Amino acid sequence: MYLNKSIKEINELLKNKTIKPIDLVEEAFQNIENNRELNAYITLNKEEAIKRAKELEDKEVDNLLFGLPIAVKDNIITKGLRTTCASHILDNFIPIYDATVVEKINEKNMIIIGKTNMDEFAMGSSSRTSYFGAPKNPWNKEKISGGSSGGSATTIASRDLPFALGSDTGGSIRQPASYTGIVGMKPTYGRISRFGLVAFASSLDQIGPMTTNVYNNALLLNALVGKDEKDLTSVRREDEDFTRLIGEDIKGMKIAVPNYFMSDIVSKSITSKVKEVIELLKSKGATVDYIDVDYLENAVTLYQIIAMGEASSNLARFDGIRYGFSYENPENIEDVYLKTRAEGFGEEVKRRIMVGSYLLSGENAKVYYNKALSIRDDMRKALKKVFDSYDLIIGPTTTTTAYDLTDPMDDPSKSFMDDVLVIPVNMAGLPGLNLPIGFDDNKMPIGMQIIGNSFEEAKIYKLASYLEKELNLSLNPNGGEDNE
Amino acid sequence: MSNYIPTIGVEVHVELKTKTKIFSNSINGYGEMANSLTNVVDLAYPGKAATILNCKIRRIMHFDRKNYFYPDISKNYQITQNATPIGYDGYVEITKSTGEKKKVYIEEMHIEEDTCKSAHRGTKTLLDFNRAGVPLIEIVTKPCMSDGEDVKLYLEKLRELLSFGDISDCKIEEGSMRADVNVSIRKNESDPLGTKAEIKNIGSISNAKLGVEKEIERQTKIYDAGETFKPQTRRFDDKINDTVLMRVKETGNDYRYFPEPDIPYVILTDEMIERAINSIPMLPDERREKYKKLGVSDINTEKLVANRSLSDYFNTLLDEKINHQIASNLLLGDISGYLNKNEKLITDTTLSKERFIELVNLIDNNTLTSKNLKDILDIVLESDKSIQTIIKEQGIENITDDSEIRNIVKEIINNNPESVNDYKQGHDRAIKYLMGQVMKETKGKANPKMAMDILTEELN
Amino acid sequence: MKEMLTKEEVLHVADLARISLTEEEIKKYQVELKKLLDDVEKINNVKGYDDDILIACWENSAELRKDIAGDMLDPKEVVNNAPRHSGNYIEVPVVISEGEGA
Repeated sequence: MYLNKSIKEINELLKNKTIKPIDLVEEAFQNIENNRELNAYITLNKEEAIKRAKELEDKEVDNLLFGLPIAVKDNIITKGLRTTCASHILDNFIPIYDATVVEKINEKNMIIIGKTNMDEFAMGSSSRTSYFGAPKNPWNKEKISGGSSGGSATTIASRDLPFALGSDTGGSIRQPASYTGIVGMKPTYGRISRFGLVAFASSLDQIGPMTTNVYNNALLLNALVGKDEKDLTSVRREDEDFTRLIGEDIKGMKIAVPNYFMSDIVSKSITSKVKEVIELLKSKGATVDYIDVDYLENAVTLYQIIAMGEASSNLARFDGIRYGFSYENPENIEDVYLKTRAEGFGEEVKRRIMVGSYLLSGENAKVYYNKALSIRDDMRKALKKVFDSYDLIIGPTTTTTAYDLTDPMDDPSKSFMDDVLVIPVNMAGLPGLNLPIGFDDNKMPIGMQIIGNSFEEAKIYKLASYLEKELNLSLNPNGGEDNE
Repeated sequence: MSNYIPTIGVEVHVELKTKTKIFSNSINGYGEMANSLTNVVDLAYPGKAATILNCKIRRIMHFDRKNYFYPDISKNYQITQNATPIGYDGYVEITKSTGEKKKVYIEEMHIEEDTCKSAHRGTKTLLDFNRAGVPLIEIVTKPCMSDGEDVKLYLEKLRELLSFGDISDCKIEEGSMRADVNVSIRKNESDPLGTKAEIKNIGSISNAKLGVEKEIERQTKIYDAGETFKPQTRRFDDKINDTVLMRVKETGNDYRYFPEPDIPYVILTDEMIERAINSIPMLPDERREKYKKLGVSDINTEKLVANRSLSDYFNTLLDEKINHQIASNLLLGDISGYLNKNEKLITDTTLSKERFIELVNLIDNNTLTSKNLKDILDIVLESDKSIQTIIKEQGIENITDDSEIRNIVKEIINNNPESVNDYKQGHDRAIKYLMGQVMKETKGKANPKMAMDILTEELN
Repeated sequence: MKEMLTKEEVLHVADLARISLTEEEIKKYQVELKKLLDDVEKINNVKGYDDDILIACWENSAELRKDIAGDMLDPKEVVNNAPRHSGNYIEVPVVISEGEGA
């Protein structure tokens, strides 16, 4: 059992040849096997991972991530490894190129263990729209893991392996991280190349790291960022080490709490836990103020318009012509489109594509989409303005803790409302992180969101690591020793 | 047949001369998921085009998605510029056969990606994604043309301008320039525009003219018969030299345009625009005007303008005090012959500007005859020596010494009293014979003009 | 306010989205789509927006790439990914009319 040790310890063991990458890989697969009923994975990369691990035996251990197993959300393109987006329409799709983030983790000699379960095309908040069935919450198998990066959250929470990639369009990293008690970061829009991330809503999507602790999260982010010629929305920035402020004191930090985040839309058990943290911060010399931020209450409406509108166009490419599932005996080209898409897409996806098509049709693009973008920019300005006076914004990540897998799915608005607190961050392109801060009465994890100004991820990690240490929670659902 | 007033507008797509796809740097197709943007947008191409077509240039622009399901567009949306075309409100000038000058107004021109090529085989359509993503500019005129000649002249002018501007190959046959023509007719100027037919698949400029004329005929017949027709798309079939119906247009195509979220705003700086304008070479009409002023014949002027590299070479000589007609004769005659035979460009030869000026002057003052030039042309174009040196080395230097030629002339006159007599009787042929004898005696080296002058002088 | 969309409204958006629907699905979406459309109508209650920002990659304008060819995908692999293909071409049932766009 090595994967529960700290990354620095594992790195030492690899360097002095006490262990080999294959030991870590085999351990990860054993863990996944033991947790199979959690349904965290859609496809395992066993053969290739073992091959990679053996190849690495001859290589110098040149960085902290060397030889470490990582799980990749199944909407991130992996060359030669099936990529389904949890959809029937791609259930036979073997990509012929790698996403830029996959190239980056390969450069670090990390080993991809498998592709994680998710909501179909990342559309949902409970991973229950997956064609392959929902993953289960390691803290209580009757509960959801959240979504859409539910599989990545599940495999990290259950301690199968230390690293996973998720994607976050409207909270899809932070919300499942909150439900499963792990650390999940959505970086600033543009930090990480989206090339090879199957687009859901282009102006909102961002890939991010999901890990058991704050340090690992910052470490993985180091490996993922950078301007990419293949993604025009990626941003060129000076190199920086996101772990650099970890361990610093938070005395004098100025923190804002939007009143809306603590209003009665959030359950009492969660707000009271967040208040405990606020008191702790104050006692440690930080300033915490409650403030009003305009437009936050409109975030879900704007998100619905922008995300469904863009999705209807982004998902038009899945038509049964170039790859993926195609309706068997089409009579004509229209038949290829209509029946491939009718059979290939699940209900949530169809619903959103149809509404999105409506929102863009005729004059509607002006009435809805363009208007939503304009208001969204005002929301962004309102949130950015907070950072003129404060270092960070905090609040709860979710309005409730994880709910039952069997809860009804007949309300099409429900999956949007689950993300009411995480969506504003995507709308403003800001970085946001979920940090576990405790449990409710049913021993389900509660998460707190830390939001920073654009490109100030390091500051988020500073506060998160400080609290992580102060709170010192036992976050292993299997009990036993926790990794550091 | 009654008379109707035709109204014609043209949409032209030209492929830009780039190495890579517009939104991805993969050479072949399928780069659909990449969304980088080549620096073609860095005005080098579209900005030049906008300037050449006298368009206003937009400083802040974005791209839009045009959404429609069709197998020729791999993402089922096309990246184009609907709301913010890079150029707008332009014109080009054409000269009709009557001599009348006419402006063809450009409504707008925008950047977009090309679709993939499809070929129909029985029950299947085959898709070739190689062309998909090639950057195009689409140039849309106002409905301001009135006959087939207008369309022909406009397309010729456009082709000339865009290929001179190094923007596109403009090869209609190979599809790097494609034109769609909208034709409608109406009875009176005050009537609303008539029903439109769009002609696609036009394989040549002459077909465009023919297509318009046939379409006007067809619509006239329909209206004359008291009938109407629905807006439709037709194609030109060069087997029957006529247009045929492709499909009746459905009303209200819903393209669901919205701003392309994968591409940030493109902002053109003054510097970028200036760079584009500075990279525009001298355009054909300006060349024509300059050549004519320098005394170059109409035929030579047109030939030069039709040959971009010779014309560029000629442009370096515009300020030189030389005989430009001779210079153009040389370039279009012997030198072109050599270049064609050897598949070279003039810039591949050793003919520097200085040596060419020397050559033109030597011919102008009759030091070198055109026959002699033929003998030494290869050396002139393949070595660095001065033309004088080549003439000397090849022993074809003309005798320009007056007394030497006069002595020979006197000798010939003395030896040919009959011919001298014939000449004095008014037989012109006699002087040619005597001249031939002079040249024979000097082994062709006598400067012919000089020899003729001396001969005439001595005979009289 | 009406309770659900008409059948025709549902069929119209299904056509835009190129998704064929069964009668049963149409009935379901008459209600569900209406719920979502009511949600987005709330945008009309939002006031105070000013400028026309249309693209949300706010903090940078497009950085233009040099016109240099990059990695290429093998056309054979591309074509092999397609459900129906022949030679270097991807195949679809015959399309009678010509392309809409360029």
